[in-house]
Amino acid sequence: MPLVPVPKPTFTQKLKRFFMVDLLKGMAVTLGFNIGALTDKDSVAGKGIYTEQYPKVRPDVAPRFHGAPRLNMDPETHDTLCIACNLCALACPEDCIDVIPMDVEVVVAGKPRRKKVLDEFIFDTSRCMFCALCQEACPTYCLELTQDFELATYSRAGFVWNREMLEQGRETVKYES
Amino acid sequence: MSVLALLAAPSFVDTLLLKFFSEQTVNYVIWPLIQVGLVVTITAGWVAYATYLERKISAFMQARLGPMRVGPWGLLQPIADGLKLLTKEDFIPENADRWIFFVAPYIAVVAAFIVLAVVPFGPDWAVITDVNIGVLFVLAVSSVGVLALILAGWSSNSKYALLGALRSSAQMVSYEVSMGLAIIGALMFARTLSLSGVVEAQASNSVWFLLYQPVGFMIFLVSGIAENNRAPFDLPEAESELVAGFHTEYSGFRWSLFFMAEYTAMVVVTAVATTLYLGGWYFPFVYRLTEAKGYHSVYVVVSLIVFLAKAGLLLYLYFWLRWTLPRFRYDQLMDLGWKWMLPAALINIVVTAIAVTVIQGLDNPSGMHTIKSLSAGLGLTVSGKVIAIAFGIVNLFLTAGVLSLINWRSRDFNLKKQRHQIRLVDLPKGKPAVAPVETVSEARP
Repeated sequence: MPLVPVPKPTFTQKLKRFFMVDLLKGMAVTLGFNIGALTDKDSVAGKGIYTEQYPKVRPDVAPRFHGAPRLNMDPETHDTLCIACNLCALACPEDCIDVIPMDVEVVVAGKPRRKKVLDEFIFDTSRCMFCALCQEACPTYCLELTQDFELATYSRAGFVWNREMLEQGRETVKYES
Repeated sequence: MSVLALLAAPSFVDTLLLKFFSEQTVNYVIWPLIQVGLVVTITAGWVAYATYLERKISAFMQARLGPMRVGPWGLLQPIADGLKLLTKEDFIPENADRWIFFVAPYIAVVAAFIVLAVVPFGPDWAVITDVNIGVLFVLAVSSVGVLALILAGWSSNSKYALLGALRSSAQMVSYEVSMGLAIIGALMFARTLSLSGVVEAQASNSVWFLLYQPVGFMIFLVSGIAENNRAPFDLPEAESELVAGFHTEYSGFRWSLFFMAEYTAMVVVTAVATTLYLGGWYFPFVYRLTEAKGYHSVYVVVSLIVFLAKAGLLLYLYFWLRWTLPRFRYDQLMDLGWKWMLPAALINIVVTAIAVTVIQGLDNPSGMHTIKSLSAGLGLTVSGKVIAIAFGIVNLFLTAGVLSLINWRSRDFNLKKQRHQIRLVDLPKGKPAVAPVETVSEARP
């Protein structure tokens, strides 16, 4: 084992030691935070309160935050924007999306045609890693990851969202003070 | 005027009580009972809110908010905590010594609360009883608290509790010595053991003994923190090592009694430190503005507030230090107690004795006038005060010098010694050691 080089203390260092400058510095830090908590409003740059009163005060999530998925609807007709193209399911690296289409009979220009429309949409949030590749793949801006982050449920089955949940949003008990 | 009437309550109550009881009963039974009731209630409430304050201050120092949910700003949190503790199960571990286990928390609380009887919270009716051996009483009774910790640790039938109790008893015994010795310096100037007498000595001199006794104050404060088992000296309840120390096996109300004892002991130490070194209820100009103009009750109440403010500042220092300093190692703690605090206290006594002798010797023969009167403490003139304060400041440097002389071989708190210690024992001296190069075993393919 080599000798550990500990430099000899200089006169200033000895003086600092004698007057306990380091102790006073430490106490100044804690006192600064104590005063800052009572006066300073800027918590990030200053010495104010950093924590949030979560259920009482909703936190501001970052603009790039990805949360609960949602299937958007046409704001006027309230029909789904999804065209059941399956691009999101293909884009998903975790394979957590299942798009189940069905064929309906429609009459286009007097002729009967079959059209592929969305029947059911299964989104497994327990496997989702919120990369939002599905959102980028969607050609109609239908599937979107919102900023809602309260996804906890009581069972594993609760993590699997169906079309209704995706369109209407999941029912959660909101905190009321 | 209603405020003044309220402040004049004692004389009003006195006349009311005299209608029903004899004068002796009123003076020696009724009034003390009222005072005791008030002090115990206020201290218990204060102790409850000290926990709240501690949580709040620690939260602020960590940029948190602390308890916020019970009541506005969490102000009802202590009450909620108390109710929760009352409804908890009173658990007794298997094979515990039941009776000692039951009695230990009560000893702790009683030992902590009795001391409040002699603490002078203010002049006149703001002190329960003025015992003429007050300081001795405080030291004697507050050290009974150690017994409670030992009993609690021993009776719990748990290794953590026993270890915590052993640690705390060793710690409290070793710091008790330097604490008692540190007080002597202040007593040399006060010339009395009565706590009220100490305050009066400072008031008549219009000086705080902190100026005469800076070293004594520091030793008393450090020893007091160690005596109360508070951080950075909270080894008996070091969470990371001993679960919760001596009260590991306690739950519910008995546990809260230990907590109450700890916080009351804190209040007691701050009160005694205030009395001995910070002038107690004395504050400049208060007497001249109130008592001299005839407002006696105002004088008492203002003095009471002054005392509480000083003690509160010291209490804040407790919380402040707790969140600034890390915990000492056990050998460092013992080192600090026996190798640094005890010699410092002895040096303080010697220097103070020399200072008092010098002041007395300079008084008559040389024509210098240093002593005003000896009626209340050592009444000094301006030149006497200057000499005493100069001795106090010189004492700071002298103590530091002598301590570093004594401890030049000691490892802890001594970087020079540590530098020589960081070296393998087997290595020859002076030869620069080389780390042995690990040879790669050739058997490996």
